[in-house]
Amino acid sequence: MNHSTSLKALKSILQRDNASKALLKTLSQKFNADFCIEDSNQLLLWGDRGAFVNSVILEYQEATLATFYYSDANALHIFETIKLLFQKEWEKKKIGKEVLGLYREINMIYGLSEMISEKIDAESIAEVALQEAVQIINTSHGLFLMYDADKDEVLEIAQFGNNPNSQTNIDKQKELLKELIKKGTSAIVPKERVVKNPALRHLKAAMYAPLKVKHRTLGLMVLGHEDEIEYTAAELKLLTTIALQSSSAIESAHLYQKGLKEVQDREEAIRKIHDASQKFVPSEFIKSLGKAKITEVSLGDLAEREVTVVFADIRGFTSISEGLSPKDNFLFVNGFNNRMGPIVRKNAGFIMQYLGDGFMALFPKGPQSALRASVEMHKALQEYNKERALKERLPVKIGVGMQNGKLIMGITGDSDRLDAAIISDTVNTAARIEGLSKHYGTSILLTDNCKKKLENPADFDFRYLGAVKVKGKRKPIDLYECINGDQPKLLEHKLNTTGSFQKGLDLYLNREFAMAAVTFQQIFKLNQQDQTAKLFLNKSATLITQELEEGWKGVESMTNK
Amino acid sequence: MTKKLLIVDDEPHIRMLIEQTLEDLEDDGVELLIAENGEEALRIIQEEKPNLVFLDVMMPKMNGMEVCYKVKKELNLSEVYIILLTAKGQEVDRQKGLDMGANKYMTKPFDPDEMLTIAKDILNN
Repeated sequence: MNHSTSLKALKSILQRDNASKALLKTLSQKFNADFCIEDSNQLLLWGDRGAFVNSVILEYQEATLATFYYSDANALHIFETIKLLFQKEWEKKKIGKEVLGLYREINMIYGLSEMISEKIDAESIAEVALQEAVQIINTSHGLFLMYDADKDEVLEIAQFGNNPNSQTNIDKQKELLKELIKKGTSAIVPKERVVKNPALRHLKAAMYAPLKVKHRTLGLMVLGHEDEIEYTAAELKLLTTIALQSSSAIESAHLYQKGLKEVQDREEAIRKIHDASQKFVPSEFIKSLGKAKITEVSLGDLAEREVTVVFADIRGFTSISEGLSPKDNFLFVNGFNNRMGPIVRKNAGFIMQYLGDGFMALFPKGPQSALRASVEMHKALQEYNKERALKERLPVKIGVGMQNGKLIMGITGDSDRLDAAIISDTVNTAARIEGLSKHYGTSILLTDNCKKKLENPADFDFRYLGAVKVKGKRKPIDLYECINGDQPKLLEHKLNTTGSFQKGLDLYLNREFAMAAVTFQQIFKLNQQDQTAKLFLNKSATLITQELEEGWKGVESMTNK
Repeated sequence: MTKKLLIVDDEPHIRMLIEQTLEDLEDDGVELLIAENGEEALRIIQEEKPNLVFLDVMMPKMNGMEVCYKVKKELNLSEVYIILLTAKGQEVDRQKGLDMGANKYMTKPFDPDEMLTIAKDILNN
């Protein structure tokens, strides 16, 4: 409390406080004694500077505070009253200052709590804690240390002031610091220890408080001063409070981060399961059922869709697999599927089922994309076969058959075992058509129903192969061969002979078998890879001498699946 | 001309805290005035026309809102800068206070340093 504060206390009773002002006026009247008071700067605080004959000095703490001027000795009673009032006011101010100091501390701690509660990492909390400590505690240096039990290290996570080689010093003092952390108490470091400790040589005073959470101590907050000061118990208490606030916040931040990581890990695990489940049950299938996730499907969910069903099958798989071990066989099939799957997906289809040496794929967008995918699969295999040829391996060929139509997609099984299933005659027909591609010697075979639904039929080239009655079906189906997946030379041959092939087929259906045989013979002679021409040549030749059934219309009746 | 600052709060310890906080202004010649309730505050404002008033909202007799309304809307003393003081949690009154013509709003517990800075800024302008 300085001179200025004392003067303020005096002014307060003489000029501001109504009660004291009233009392002094009353006394002045009662004693009939006038007076005036001037402060040490000759500024008038009370009354008028009249012709007073006497004066007395108001001293406080050996300094002149004001001069009391009077004429009548009775006025000295008033002077004594003023001294008393001043003493009371001065004490009030002293208490006021202390209360304000405490209020500042409360306010700082309140602000600190608010600030650190927003932080979610220890470093930020430590920074804020040190910043706030400097605001309220007279200090020039600070360290925020934490003990990492896993690494058995004491780490500096925040600091202020210039702390030379702090981490090196911390490492050197590790055992002492660990002991202090273990002890978990706060203390003002005795001056002689500060002086003796080489790590504190830049300081003249130091104190520390533990970062305690329940019964554990996470670390220490250390404050120091480069000047000769003495930390007080109140300051240590304040540091302890800040350290406690910080450690709770750090613990909460850790729990938050831990919780966050757990949630992230769980989400990651769910995402992985979801990704994996998508590979087993295609997401397109789930979407077709009007569901977003596999977890939403339940037994009995179903949806009707018009799609193109494609069956693809490795030709001569038995011969290829003959020389392979079961494992190599598996690897071979995987290698094949790895090449085909992306082509299906690229063309907006999805593999519904793998069937050992082949697969069934669905194309919700219809036959245009299904046929494009089928041609691309053949071309990809042609490239693959070039690689295989270099390794003297047998070429891989596939037969593709497709049908377009409605089918039911649904979840079947029982409450403990579910599976995605499709049930439809379209699927059976597509499988039969694929089987027929072997019989006709074609690479891609499709039904009339598929061909009619093509958005751009001109993108492809076809040969009509007549009608066929597949096993179990009464109605014949018109069949077309798509030739664009054939080897380049065979494709060229088929393109060159499309007209004569159609002519041959017309002759065949008109029962002019001899002429038909000649026509197909000519086509076959041009390229002996044309197995379809060979088939019709043989059929025509056989029928020349055979008696026809009644009502023969050239419909091929298949008795095999 | 002497600048005047009026502190209005019915709680003696809050009055003392604000007075202590703003005491340094006296060194710059600012006169600190004190009122213990709304009625006294209104009388001092009319008589002394302080430049700045720290006015508590929750007071018996006449609350801070009423004082503010009378000063700003009835007496048209727009030059008197009024800062309303309200306990934290009563922020809902904020808009009401501003509607009554208050210039600024501060919540208790107030930050002493912030209060002094604000007072200095307002008195210097």
